[in-house]
Amino acid sequence: MTPARRATIEFLLDNLVWLMLIVVLIVFSLAVPRFFQFGIFANIVEQSTFVGVMAIGLAIVIISGNLDLSVESTAALSAMVTGLLFATQGIGLGLTLEPSWLMLPVSLLLAMIVGAIIGFINGFFVVRVGMAAFIVTLASFIWVRGLVVAVSGGRSAQSLAPSIRIIGTADILGIPLLAWISIGFFVLFSVLMAKTPFGRYVTLVGGNREATYRAGIDSDRILWASFIIAGLLAGVAGWLLAIRTSGATANLGAGMLFNAFAAVVIGGISLKGGIGKLPGVYAGVLLLYSIHTAINLMGLPAHYTQMILGGLVLAAVLLDTLKLRLRERLL
Amino acid sequence: MNEKPPLLKLEAIRKHFGAIEALKGIDMEINSGEVVALLGDNGAGKSTLVKIVSGDLRPTAGRIVMEGEEHDFASPAEAKAAGIETVYQDLSLCTNADVVANFFMGREITKRFLGIPILQEREMEAVVAQAMADAGTQIPSLRTNVEYLSGGQRQAIELNRFVHWGGKLVLLDEPFAALGVEQTRRGLETVRQVASRGIGVVVITHIMAQAFQVADRIIVIRHGVVAGNVRPEETTSDQVIDMITGGSLSGAGKGRG
Repeated sequence: MTPARRATIEFLLDNLVWLMLIVVLIVFSLAVPRFFQFGIFANIVEQSTFVGVMAIGLAIVIISGNLDLSVESTAALSAMVTGLLFATQGIGLGLTLEPSWLMLPVSLLLAMIVGAIIGFINGFFVVRVGMAAFIVTLASFIWVRGLVVAVSGGRSAQSLAPSIRIIGTADILGIPLLAWISIGFFVLFSVLMAKTPFGRYVTLVGGNREATYRAGIDSDRILWASFIIAGLLAGVAGWLLAIRTSGATANLGAGMLFNAFAAVVIGGISLKGGIGKLPGVYAGVLLLYSIHTAINLMGLPAHYTQMILGGLVLAAVLLDTLKLRLRERLL
Repeated sequence: MNEKPPLLKLEAIRKHFGAIEALKGIDMEINSGEVVALLGDNGAGKSTLVKIVSGDLRPTAGRIVMEGEEHDFASPAEAKAAGIETVYQDLSLCTNADVVANFFMGREITKRFLGIPILQEREMEAVVAQAMADAGTQIPSLRTNVEYLSGGQRQAIELNRFVHWGGKLVLLDEPFAALGVEQTRRGLETVRQVASRGIGVVVITHIMAQAFQVADRIIVIRHGVVAGNVRPEETTSDQVIDMITGGSLSGAGKGRG
């Protein structure tokens, strides 16, 4: 086989999820009435924001060879902190800052700090103490959600200050600001993963931690940083979710973990670690929400979505295995 | 006398694993530009010794003195900083990454944009291509993930890596285990070339012929102590076998004694 042809096949295999996304969009556009509209596409991108931002962090942790089940609860905690402090009704304390635009960065910063703290705790137990990431983050998934219920007393906060809400209502060039935010995050973190030593090390540590240690890379620091980034991004996702819903409820974000995981797996990230790229994850999220949207438009009951998504995850893993075999035969 | 201290001096190195005493006090010296073959039976403690010098393990007792300066390596990173490169028996490659990424692991070429270090892929690829060409190693594409390469190609990457980065002392733990005849010959040549640049080389092997072919000095380890320290021209392989086995096997085998 010529190198050029092999390169083409490699490229196609690496970007299979984008191909799938395009095919699915074309099929839906032809088959589903009212699907082919600018508004629908903008809406898909906007809806993808919350799970998308969360999935970036999850993907980084998985590429580093670990697992983070706590991202959903972390997002809920950040959302609740945002709602509690800056919402005016329900349990909201209605905190105001002068000038009022200051509330936007301050609330974002708080949400990121809350998320980073949870990530730091996860990292401590996994990296320092040496516990299994599955158990540590499963525990966090439970206790952080418990904390959300505890601080809210099970009640909700509503009516976020308008100066924060602007993030959820503004648009640029007819595309919602939220959509731009998710695109921005994916571009930023894709560059981080593909072009910086940190991203390179995350992949290498996920592939062979012993080898990176021998090469003088501080693998503990890389793993710990991955957890902190995952927590931080979950915090941002929670903040965005609070803005979108203009407040927070105790069960906000329930079910996001599955969607984030599905997006990561569909996006070609291997749960074994060390394999996968972030742009693929974005395609995975978009694919997920294209399907959500199509099902909504067709007026099918919501439980069909779950069945289809479950099947999709299975198909994605199967595809991953097939890809591997195909590659072995080609090279 | 104002003699230069040896490149590496080990004094009474001991290592316990629980109740097992893997090394019972190793003393040896390695000079710059010298190739030392470390021989010993399975379980004699060769690999443990290499891991101690390379910073992978910490000795229970003893001193590691490099160029007259005592070191206590807490990690391979520290040993590397002191100029010690290691090629391990179980290869230290990330098979999920390409040849270039493995070659530069931990020492990437970067350029800062707005304070953020950005990998310089093209520059790195050129360096690797040059290093591979110098060594006569053929790899279809430097952007191929290592998992699709053969055992020999993988070992070649490791060998070229240490040749390129050099340092002051190189430890090779069974470096030619997966290589074919021609590649082994080239590997041994490479070892001599590296030594001629004034780098100290320690080669662990249990293939007697290789030791005699490449080494300036043969050190035999048996039951965690140095059982012999000889120059190849002053000994025979039978004598070395005696040192390795404690004399029990020198008469055994076809065509001997």
